[in-house]
Parts: sequence; C-alpha cells; structure tokens
Amino acid sequence: MRFDTLRIRPNSFIKKALLMLTTVLTPWILMAAADVVEPPKEFSLANWDWVSILTWVLALLVILVIARAFDIGALTEKITGKSVMSWNNINAWIAIIFIVLSLAGVFWELKYHGQYVLLGDSSSLHGETYDSMFYWTFGFTFFVFVVTEFLLFYFMFRYRYNENRKALYYFHNNKLEVIWTIVPTIVLTFLVLRGFTTWSKITGEVSKDTQDIEVFAYQFGWKARYAGDDQQLGNQNFNFISGTNPLGVAEDSKVEELIGDLKKEVAQLEALQASAEDSTKAWKARHDRFVSTGLHITYPEDYKSLKAKYTDAVSGAYERTLEKDIKRKKTALNRISEYRKDKDFFNGAGDDDKVTTEIVLVKNKPYNFKFRARDVIHSAYMPHFRVQMNCVPGMPTSFAFTPTMTTAEARQTKGNKEFDYYLYCNKICGAAHYNMKIKVTVVDSEAEYNTWLASQAPLVTPAIAEESQKEEKDSKTEMGEMETAMLTNNPTLN
Amino acid sequence: MSTAAIHADTHHDHHEHKESFISKYVFSMDHKMISKQFLITGIVMGMVGLIMSLIFRLQLAWPDEQFGFLETLLGKWAVDGKLDPNFYMGLVTIHGTIMVFYVLTAGLSGTFSNLLIPLQLGARDMASPFMNMLSYWFFFLSSVTLLSSVFVETGPASGGWTVYPPLSALEKAMPGSGLGMTLWLAAIALFIVSSLLAGINYISTVLNMRTKGMSMNRMPLTIWAFFFTAILGLLSFPVLLGAAIFLIFDRSFGTSFYLSDIYLEGVGALENIGGSPVLYQHLFWFLGHPEVYIILMPALGITSEVISTNARKPIFGYTAMVISLMGISFLSFIVWGHHMFITGMNPFLGSVFMILTLIIAVPSAVKAFNYLTTLWKGNLRFNPAMLFSIGLVSFFISGGLTGIYLGNAALDIQLHDSYFVVAHFHLVMGSAAIFGMFAGIYHWYPKMFGRMMNKTLGYFHFWITFITAYLVFFPMHFMGLAGVPRRYYQFTLVEDFNVWMDVNKLITVAAIVGGGAQLLFLYNFFYNIFKGKKAKQNPWQSNTLEWSTPVERIHGNWPGEIPTVYRGPYEYSRPDREEDFFPQYEPDESAPEVLHTKETKSAPDTKKVEEVEEGSVFFAAIKRVFGLS
Ligand code: HEM
Ligand SMILES: [Cu+2]
Ligand SMILES: [Cu+2]
Repeated sequence: MRFDTLRIRPNSFIKKALLMLTTVLTPWILMAAADVVEPPKEFSLANWDWVSILTWVLALLVILVIARAFDIGALTEKITGKSVMSWNNINAWIAIIFIVLSLAGVFWELKYHGQYVLLGDSSSLHGETYDSMFYWTFGFTFFVFVVTEFLLFYFMFRYRYNENRKALYYFHNNKLEVIWTIVPTIVLTFLVLRGFTTWSKITGEVSKDTQDIEVFAYQFGWKARYAGDDQQLGNQNFNFISGTNPLGVAEDSKVEELIGDLKKEVAQLEALQASAEDSTKAWKARHDRFVSTGLHITYPEDYKSLKAKYTDAVSGAYERTLEKDIKRKKTALNRISEYRKDKDFFNGAGDDDKVTTEIVLVKNKPYNFKFRARDVIHSAYMPHFRVQMNCVPGMPTSFAFTPTMTTAEARQTKGNKEFDYYLYCNKICGAAHYNMKIKVTVVDSEAEYNTWLASQAPLVTPAIAEESQKEEKDSKTEMGEMETAMLTNNPTLN
Repeated sequence: MSTAAIHADTHHDHHEHKESFISKYVFSMDHKMISKQFLITGIVMGMVGLIMSLIFRLQLAWPDEQFGFLETLLGKWAVDGKLDPNFYMGLVTIHGTIMVFYVLTAGLSGTFSNLLIPLQLGARDMASPFMNMLSYWFFFLSSVTLLSSVFVETGPASGGWTVYPPLSALEKAMPGSGLGMTLWLAAIALFIVSSLLAGINYISTVLNMRTKGMSMNRMPLTIWAFFFTAILGLLSFPVLLGAAIFLIFDRSFGTSFYLSDIYLEGVGALENIGGSPVLYQHLFWFLGHPEVYIILMPALGITSEVISTNARKPIFGYTAMVISLMGISFLSFIVWGHHMFITGMNPFLGSVFMILTLIIAVPSAVKAFNYLTTLWKGNLRFNPAMLFSIGLVSFFISGGLTGIYLGNAALDIQLHDSYFVVAHFHLVMGSAAIFGMFAGIYHWYPKMFGRMMNKTLGYFHFWITFITAYLVFFPMHFMGLAGVPRRYYQFTLVEDFNVWMDVNKLITVAAIVGGGAQLLFLYNFFYNIFKGKKAKQNPWQSNTLEWSTPVERIHGNWPGEIPTVYRGPYEYSRPDREEDFFPQYEPDESAPEVLHTKETKSAPDTKKVEEVEEGSVFFAAIKRVFGLS
C-alpha cells in the first residue's frame, strides 16, 4: 500500500503496456531527435560536443534518480519513520533508465556505424552469399538480444523488493524448457545448414580457368608472384631464398649464385672456427687491458659490448654459434644440391615469373591465391572481399575468389577518390604487424592488367640477368653484410 | 535462529591446535585461508593486468601523443613517452595471460572452490589440505615468474596470449621470444601443476566428503559448477602442458614439432623441417576452448546461487541448469577447431566443428532463459552481489549471441582475429566472469572476513563498472565488422581505420573511468577487512550450509557436529512457511526428511508448483553410471 501511489501496479495492464511501448519507442524518438539536431550525412563523432552531451545525459539521469529517490524516501519516511534513501528503488530506476538509454545507444550506433558494417557491399562473388547470411544471423541475434536484455532489466525494475510480497515458489516448467530448447535448436539448425552450404561453396573445388597467384608473407611485408608467358608458376623452396631471389624460386642462375655464396660463407666461418682459440685469447687480453687501465669506467657503453663479446668467447658460446651456423649452412647446401639433381624441379618454369609489390586483378575473373609464409604465421586479410586465410610456414594454403568491383567503382560508391583495396596481415607476427599490407587493385579489363604485368620485371631475362649479376658484385647482399659484421667483430682479424 | 541448535551442541570433536603466524597466514592448510590467499593474489594480478590494458589503450587512442609519465614508468620501452611496438605486444600478451589464467582461472576458481566446496558440502576441509597448500604456492611461484618476465631486458613474451609458434619459438623472430618467452613457459608449467593439484582435490572432496543428507541432487549449483570446472581442467590442462613442453623442446633442443620451412631475416634458412605450426594450435585450443568454460562456469555457479538467494525464489530449472553445465562441459572438448577455421585446416573439419560449436549454443541459451525466469516474479533484493550477477547475465547474453556468428565457419572468414572477436570474448568471458567474481566477493565477504562491505560503494562500483564495460566493448563489434584487425599497435597507418579514432578515444576514456571505479572496490575490500561492520550469522538469509558456521573462522569449520542436510538449497519463499527461506540444515519439525515436492502438494498454491521428480530419476541414473554414492 505504501508505494502504490508511485509504482506501476502489476495488475494495471494499460500502464504496463504503456511502459513497454515507451521503452521500445524511446530509442526511435531519440534517433529522430538526433536527426533534427544533426543530419546523418557526413556524420562524425568528432563534430559532436561530447562533453556537453554526456554532461546533459548524466545530469538528467542524476536528477531523475535523485528526485525519485527523495520522493520515495520521503514517503517511506512518513510511513515507516526510517531510511531516507531507498537504494531498492534507485537501483530499479537506474536499471530501467539504463536499458532504455542503452537500447537507444545501440540503435543509434547501428544507424551511424551501420554504414561501415562489412564495409559496404562486398567486392567479391562469394561475398554476396556471405553478406546475406550475415544479415540473417544479425536479424535473429539482434531480435533475441533486444528482447532478452529488455526483459532482464524490466524484471529488475518490476520485481524489485517489496516487503509485502512473496516471490513465486516456482521450480520448473518442462513445457517451457522444452520450448526454449527446441526453438533455438531449430533456428541454429537453419543457420548451420546455410553456413554449411556457404562454407562448402567458398572452400570447394576451384574451377579450371582459375588463375593462380602466389602471395608471399614475410616479416614485415607481402609480395606476389605472377606466372610469366608460360602461364605457369615455377617451383620454389625456402632453401633457395636469397637477396636476389626473395621468394626462393627454383631458377638456375640465382640458385647457383646462392650455392656459391653459401660455400664462401662456410669457408669463412670455418676459418673463424680454426682461429677461435686465438680469438678468445685476444678478447681476453683486450678485456683485461680495458679494465686494468680503468677505461671500463670512462666508457661504460663500450665496455658493455666488449664484455658481452668477451663473455661469449670465454664461455664457448662464440664457438658453439659458429659450429651451429656452419652446420645449418651445410645442411642448406646439401638440400639445395639434392634439389639441383632433380631436373623436373628446375624445369625453368620460374625463370619468367614476376615478383611484384602490388596485386592487380581483373574484375569478374576467378583467382586462386596460394599463400606462403617465410618466417612466422601471417594471415592474408582482405575484408572488402570477405577473404581471409592464414599463411603458415611449411604448409601451403589457398583461397579462391572472384572480385566483382573494380577499384574505380569502389572509389565512386564510397565517394573517396583516394580509396584503395588492401590486403592486411591479420595474425600477430611481430613489431611491425600493424603496418604489413599490400595494395590490391582490381581493374576493369584484361588489357589494363596486361599492360601492368608487362611493366613488371621477370625474375630473369637473359639480357638483364648478366647485368644484375654484375650489380650484385658491387652491392653487398644481406649475407655479405652479416659476414662483414662478423669479420670486423673478430679481434684477431683487425 | 536455526543455527542456535548447532552452536549449542557441546561435544567438541574439533581439535584445538596452536597456530603460528606462518602456519596460519603463510603456509596455511585451512581451505578458508587458502581461498583468501588465492583471492588477494588474484586481485593484485588483476590490478596489474588492468593497468597494462590502460597503458596500451592510451596508445590506441592517442598514437601520436607523447606521455611523459610513460617514459618515467617504463624507461626504454617508452622513449619520449611513446610506447615501443614490441612492448605494446608484450603488454597485450601479459595482460591476456594474467586475466585468463591468473585472475579468472586461479583467482576465481581457486578462491571460491576452496571456500565453498567444504563449507557448502559440510566438510571440515579439503580432501587433501596439504595438496591444497601446495596448489596455492605453485600458483604464487607462477605469478612471480610471470611478473618477473616483464623486467627482462628483451621484454616479456609478446606473441599474444596464445603464443603461436614459430613466432614464439624463434628468438630471432621478435625480442619477446627470448628470455621473456622462456619465463612465460616456466610460469605456465607451474600454473598447470597448481591447477592440477587443486582440481584433483576439488573433485575428490565433492565426491567423497559431503555431509549426511547432502546427496548430489541437493548440492548448490556453485558446487556443480566447480565440480565440472575441475573435471575440465584436469582433462585439458595436461594437453597444454604437452604443447608447452614441445615448444620448450623446439626452442632449446633443436626439435621440429612446430617448425618447418623457415627462412629468417639475418639468419638464413633453418634446418627444421617436417613440423607443423598448426599442431600447436590444435593442442593449445584443446585446452583453450575448455579453458573459456573453466573461467565462465564458476561464475555461472556463483550467479545461480546469488540470484536465487536475492530473488528469494528457487532457481528455475535446477535440473536443466545441471544438465546444461554437463552438456557444455562435454561439448567444450570437441569444438576447439572453431578457433582454427582459417588456419588452412581441411574445410571438411571446419564443417564438423561448425556444427558442434553451434550445438553448444543450445545449453548456453537454456541457462540464460533459466536466469530470466528465476528473476520473473521474484522479490529482488539489490545487494551489490545481486547487481553483479544480473550484470553477468546481461554480458552472457550479449557476448554469447556473437558466438553464433563466430561459430559459423563461413562468417568467421571475415570476423576471425578482428575486433569483433575481442568484443565477443571480453563480454562473454572477460566481463561476465569478472562480474561473477565480484558477485562472489560481495556475497561471501562476510563469510571470509566476518565483516560486511559497504553497500553504497558497491552500488557505485557496480553501475560505473557495468556501464563503462559496455562502452568499452560494445563499439568494438562495429570496428570488427568493419574489418579492423586485433593486436594492431596503431590504426592510423590504414586509411580505412581512421573513422574509428573517435571510437578508440571513447573506449579508452571509458576504460580509464572503469579502471578508476575499481579503486572504490579496492578501498571497500581492504578497508572493511579491518573496519567493516561485524557480519551477522546469515546476512543474506541464505539457505546453504556455509551460513551455519560461526562468523569467526575456526579450523574445522563447525564447532560441533557437522549439520545434516534435509533438503535442496533453493527453498525460498515456500508458500507453507512464514519466512521466505528454509535453510538446508534446518530440520522440519512437522515432516522431517520429506522432499519439498511431497509437501508442496498439500500447499495452497499447488497448481503453480512443479515437481522435480524427473530430476531425481536423472541423478539416480548418473550416479549409477559414474558409480557415485
Ligand atoms: C554461444 C556460445 C559460443 C560460441 C558459439 C562461441 C564461438 C566462438 C568462436 C567461433 C570463436 C573463435 C573466433 C575467432 O577467433 O575467429 C570464439 C572465440 C572466443 N570465445 Fe567464444 N563462443 C561462445 C561462447 C563463449 C563463452 C561462453 C566464452 C567464455 C566464457 C567464450 C570465450 C571465447 C574466447 C576467449 C575467444 C577468443 C580466443 C582468442 O582468439 O583469443 N566464448 N568463440
Ligand atoms: Cu602480421
Ligand atoms: Cu572456443
């Protein structure tokens, strides 16, 4: 009887209905209001004066709650003579305000961020199926979300504590429980079946006229390999990777060159190994001299690096590293020479392959991306095309799809002249993971594509081959650099 | 009051022994003390994890800003006040590891299993108090090891909390894969030992040490949840240990379990061939998926108990709740592949895992509906514990629904490793389980410390945390749907992601506010241990057995005989009784030893009151199958 003047009475159907209606309608009203305040086009959160909006909302909430609390508090006090603030009611009211405002927020976010969901229409053939399934799932889950979350907070409001009421002694209801087991099961079965067919279609057989492109991931970047005039990608192996052959293609001249380099390196390392004892002595002498003259105090930084070398040498770590490096290089040499014996493997198909730093595709043509990773796991992620596949060292993976929207078309629909498709890395792979991407361009016609491909240099052309070899003699390769570093580090040699 | 009878019981078979400081507070074998040790260690770890997340959130919101205090705090990891990318990865990794394993596994399960299994079942202690003590100390060592890795010169492990090789296996692949990773593996190995010791103990206690009358179908849902959790842990953690040991071998002894065909910049081609990085993922997620339920189930158990108590209403569908826990436990072992749809795994396997995954959504849905129905026509007391439980239900629904997208292999192509996944698991696992933990703390604080926490602070703590958690995680769905990848150090280098900068700022601000709200909790928690109002015997008027023990902690829990249990734990608001609760340990003068089902037939409200007879049959069957008493 105490709260009856204030509470919405359980048996008053009309009031109940009104409350429900308001809760459901408020988000829409707020949205309409938002439209008036700020037209939705070119909407940006930055344009909003967030601080004042939040302050207003909070102030409103606080006022409502306090007013309510005092109302009830005063009344309670009058009747019972105790407890001014009634947290029971405050919590109940915050709950109902919370759910109304949050549902409003959710609708608001759907409206303004909805345009970014799935980045607009898909740019690939299978993407259309994908999107339709996505929206089915969205519809179903969103409905359940709104209803259950609303009920949760409504119950919180509606069934808040009342001394004069006793809860319903209600243990279970088999019929109800069977219903809410069966209904989700049916809906999920529907979703699973759709998911199953979509998934099978996406991952299914690749049609004959599909073009293969190798997509190669490394710390931290991507490269693509297109077949040359022979329409065939050459074989490859990670042992063949070198400064001039970043993808390790089975191509005679590059691999021979690598063999030469490796042999030289092994020889150098063996020389270092032979003189390791002297080198240790030399480091020791240098270290002791440094310390005895007090230089280690004057030049702490220099001393730190000297000490590290000294410790390595004395503890034998230096020699062990040499040994390991030699063994590793010899293994690589052995493996390469095994492959060299196989004339089918070195079939020359790779000689005219083109390694590119951009991916160019033709609209409505089926492609099969064949992924490789050089060092750690990466993931090729092309959200506009609904494509993602991990690139795993030692395990070839692939993803087949057909682009359906050119870059130019996408620029137009998005109203952004600068827009480009990218393939991002989406598997944590190290410090520069966040900036590991490659541009993907979809062109309208085969001709455009051919022009582009023609402008890309093949791995070797007889004429260029010699030139590039000469160039290489001058410039240091990565390996060369490492060796130089190692040599200068050796005290016996400098 | 009901407990008077127990206190009056004069013959003390309980043994008095002198407790030194060390044996009482440090190497304690009393389950109640061990539970507090777990809780406080968990809270400390949680604060560390929280602060880490605030630091990397700063980076995401203001990537071009220089924060001088970061340099003061982190030294070379934040030169000029700008976070180093490697250290960013390290923070993300250690944050994830701490939250998943140290706070939500050990902190949650360790605290409440230890506290409640003996108290709610009527046992004097755990089956093996000594193993229990070992379990805590292994956990402690493990925590210290993990934290120490942050101070290593090359930085802590940085490959994400899942530490996928080859990244985590090759020292040259990133700095964090050096000593930091070694320490991570050592910490996890210690952690696994701890959780196995604990799990064995929990299971044997539940099976063997229940008091008279406490048949399994009278166990509170908390105990059921802890019981299944312990089984899951016992079966899945050893697999993670195996995975970790293989990884240790690959790192240090030249084996190739996970390594093949690798060329490293600055090193050259490695010798390893024949290994498979995907093998690690299978092993990891064979633990990893059950792990998410190891985290969630105790929180669900706590919630069941707290909601029923504070709704003054029997939990709706006790049997269904237990069956769905059981179903979830079983299914969680055969769905791990849903974390690997796009690893290049055979597409057919993908289909199988998709079907199994979506089946698991059914028991999850049943649980959510049952919570709702429990609230329906209840008489809700908004204690802070109750609010946090309701918060859990809300997160469980919001986050669980997105599982339906992710479980669908086809939809996962786009969503995998995006912010959508981050939103999903932070809601359904992170926030939900943390809220379960808070609910547990607020509810059983009087039992742990004999004093009360401040309710008003609790309300502020709840509402601020609840609202900010949604502000932080809800917008992430939209970012993920727009193809924003997770574990990016900075979003400004990709045109497309720039529209999210405002949102990133909003999230960070909300995170800071939410983090600040935890100070209210810390104050409330630590201050009231010493200064809180003295607790009453049964402050929440709850039915379960733990409220019959004396407020002051004693070794052996009950001064006299352990009480007998006469009925199920959820007899609230029985129409035939004056009071709205009916403790399990209170004999019924009029008709002792009779199940509520029989009595309620004569109660006035017969039509609405249902029976649980099917439930009893079901349990009898289970007991026969498992040979339980
Ligand atoms: C309705 C039931 C659920 C389904 C169908 C489901 C499905 C999934 C799927 C498919 C993923 C992988 C997404 C991806 O990486 O692409 C995932 C991730 C995850 N889920 Fe769920 N989930 C459900 C409920 C839960 C629950 C209850 C928890 C925890 C208590 C949970 C915790 C996680 C976590 C931690 C991850 C992320 C792991 C990571 O990649 O770091 N999920 N979920
Ligand atoms: Cu990456
Ligand atoms: Cu999972």
